[in-house]
Amino acid sequence: MTTDDSPAVSLQGVRKCYGSKVAVDNLTLTLQRGELFAFLGPNGAGKTTTIKMIVGLLQPNIGEVRVCGHHIGTNGLAAKAQLAYVPDQPFLYEKLTGREFLYFVAEMYNLTIAQRDERIANLMARLDFSEYIDHLTENYSHGMKQKVVLAAALLHEPTVLVIDEPMVGLDPRSIRTVKELFVERTRAGGSVFMSTHTLDIAEAVADRIGIIHHGKLVAMGTLDELKARARQEHSLEEIFLGMTEADDGC
Amino acid sequence: MDVEALSVRRHMIGLLLRVTFRSLYNRGQKAVDVAPIRLTITVLLIALIWCALYFMFELVFRNLQRTPLEATVALPLIFNFFFMAMLAMLTFSNAIIAYGALFGKDESAYLLTSPLTPLDVVTLKYVESLVMASWALVLLGLPLMISLAGLVDRSNQALFYGLFLVFFLAFIPIPGALGLLLAWLAARVIPRRAARVFAVLIGVAIMVSIFWGMRSLQTSDDAMEIWLRSFQSRMRFVRAAFLPNNWVASGIDHAIRYQFTEAFLYLGVTIANALFLSWAVVRFVARYFDGALDRAMTGHGEGVRYGAADSGGISRLLFIYLPKPLRLIATKDLRVFMRDPMQWSQLAILFGLLFLYLSNMPTLRIQLSGLGWQLMMPFLNLCAVSLILATFTCRFVFPLISLEGRKLWLVGLLPIRRNRVLWAKFSFAMTITLAVAMSAMVMSLIVLELNVFWSITHLTVTASICFGLCGISVGLGARLPMYDELNAARIANGLGGTTNLLMSVVLVAIVLTGVGVATWRSRFLPFTETPAVSSIALCVFSVLINLIVGLLALRLGGNHFAKAEV
Repeated sequence: MTTDDSPAVSLQGVRKCYGSKVAVDNLTLTLQRGELFAFLGPNGAGKTTTIKMIVGLLQPNIGEVRVCGHHIGTNGLAAKAQLAYVPDQPFLYEKLTGREFLYFVAEMYNLTIAQRDERIANLMARLDFSEYIDHLTENYSHGMKQKVVLAAALLHEPTVLVIDEPMVGLDPRSIRTVKELFVERTRAGGSVFMSTHTLDIAEAVADRIGIIHHGKLVAMGTLDELKARARQEHSLEEIFLGMTEADDGC
Repeated sequence: MDVEALSVRRHMIGLLLRVTFRSLYNRGQKAVDVAPIRLTITVLLIALIWCALYFMFELVFRNLQRTPLEATVALPLIFNFFFMAMLAMLTFSNAIIAYGALFGKDESAYLLTSPLTPLDVVTLKYVESLVMASWALVLLGLPLMISLAGLVDRSNQALFYGLFLVFFLAFIPIPGALGLLLAWLAARVIPRRAARVFAVLIGVAIMVSIFWGMRSLQTSDDAMEIWLRSFQSRMRFVRAAFLPNNWVASGIDHAIRYQFTEAFLYLGVTIANALFLSWAVVRFVARYFDGALDRAMTGHGEGVRYGAADSGGISRLLFIYLPKPLRLIATKDLRVFMRDPMQWSQLAILFGLLFLYLSNMPTLRIQLSGLGWQLMMPFLNLCAVSLILATFTCRFVFPLISLEGRKLWLVGLLPIRRNRVLWAKFSFAMTITLAVAMSAMVMSLIVLELNVFWSITHLTVTASICFGLCGISVGLGARLPMYDELNAARIANGLGGTTNLLMSVVLVAIVLTGVGVATWRSRFLPFTETPAVSSIALCVFSVLINLIVGLLALRLGGNHFAKAEV
């Protein structure tokens, strides 16, 4: 199944173990096209493991993962052509400049030179990294790296953007720009799967929110649905704390 | 995103190689711009080592040529052993580098989330590990190969230079492919700590080989001819027809005798096997790469749990002579050291080899007919211990202060004077080096039954060398730190590390010259007689210079460290 109406991301009964430790247990969720999904959970809840399974770095012990209808295990190349992934620790080649890295990514995704130059100029202006684009990335701060990695991820206009902690190290202006870019991406028909601890951002931009705790999905829905489920009219922070603390028996 | 277009050009190895070359070019450019003197010195030193090796090998071969009968027997054996050792060492070093590159770095993870096939990634990492693991050995092995051309007529030398080079390069992919396979197996079977396990395995393999080699070399009461036959018989396995080292050695042997048909046949066999093995192993690893990566990332379970004795356990006893704040820092350093097998395994390998050598000394049955040798042998052992200590302190002690860089805010807030931190580092380094070096020297002295005067002298000099070397490494580590660098190996290879190495070697050379002259003058004295005053003075000078240099370096580093801003 590789049609345009297939979900952007689909996890069906996924389970992943690290030795005897169950990191993700029986996880089923679907990310629709044009949707911005925020994935929340305490440290060690299974967020990054889930993301690594979506992008094909880890294989589920049970269940299956599909990206735009392509099975990530058996048809990984087609699935990854639709994906962009930004890990929590941004990767850049230390001995390349930011521009050289972006050229490399553009060539990997078959962009024409005109497309490449136009998109780099646009992203550079919006994320404001023109000042250091021609410096070796080994000299970048965490925030600078994050901006270049974000630009590289958006360069080929992916159908699905999977991003782990997108706002870490960014200044307030850049955070605002990134939020705008995510919203624009979803309006253009793309999808964003975002793992974060920054509840304000999830509350502000996410279409749906999922909360994972001890490897299990304990809640999923729009902010209103979560509030209704929690039977309270409080903030996402209080809902999150209530759901994760209750399960800890606190 | 144009999926169809991507599927047309699925293999992007060309693009990946271009990026790798670009990174290398930028690295070189930066080295030229930022540290031209260091780069020049490095290139000059490599050229010096290369030329020295070339002339040494050429001399050996020319001498061998004068005795054709011995050359006929010895040359194939020398090359068989050389390539056998290369096969083992390159296989392990390729395995370590390939494992780190494929399963331990963020780059692999990044590339695998891009529309690249595992074949692209594995091919790239195979080529990288081949270059990174082999360049040093190739650099050192080339003089051996090229000096061989000296054995043939001058008119044919150009042909032989090329031929031997091709033989050498054709051999390299074989251990490269075996190493890649080993790395994949390690990820499947012993994930996470595989690189460390490899390091320990290499050490054990080297020690076993040396132990076995020394046992094989030991002479017996039998006549030399019988021993030689027995030795050749024991070494026969290295000439097995299926071993790659034998293909290359036989090819070279035939080439020297102008038997070109046979030489090219062996060259063909080597190239064919190298290409086939590389192709098969890269395809195999790429085919089953996903599972191995998954296992490497998740196979560690919940990780090892360490008990945290608040009193420091054994460390408390080791550093009992230190005041509490310094003891805490030294204890922390010891814990970090003991929990990093890459560190303690290298120390264990270095001194393990030394202990093996010392324990085998009696079996070598060297005729210590005069007192001269009785003094010279322990002196040579002192040289070996000193040089190993210099290597160890440069590699492991020098980076200690730099590694505190990111935590200097913590160290700076401790309720002690900041330069006392240096004394904690120094005490930690002294404790480890003293314990290991003194045990090695005591063993050497007992085995060689040295008299009391020289025993005390050697032990005192060893202790003072530990002081001097640790002082230089800690002091210069604080004076020329690299606070931004987290990799200890890179810190040791930086400008400060190189300066530290040079200073340590100069100190060791001065000290050993002093003790060496005293030893040489006293070599024919009766066993119980005390050496001349001038000899004793030289030994005292050697001890004092260690203490003075160590203290000066610590003072220099301490003053700088007290004012350091990070």
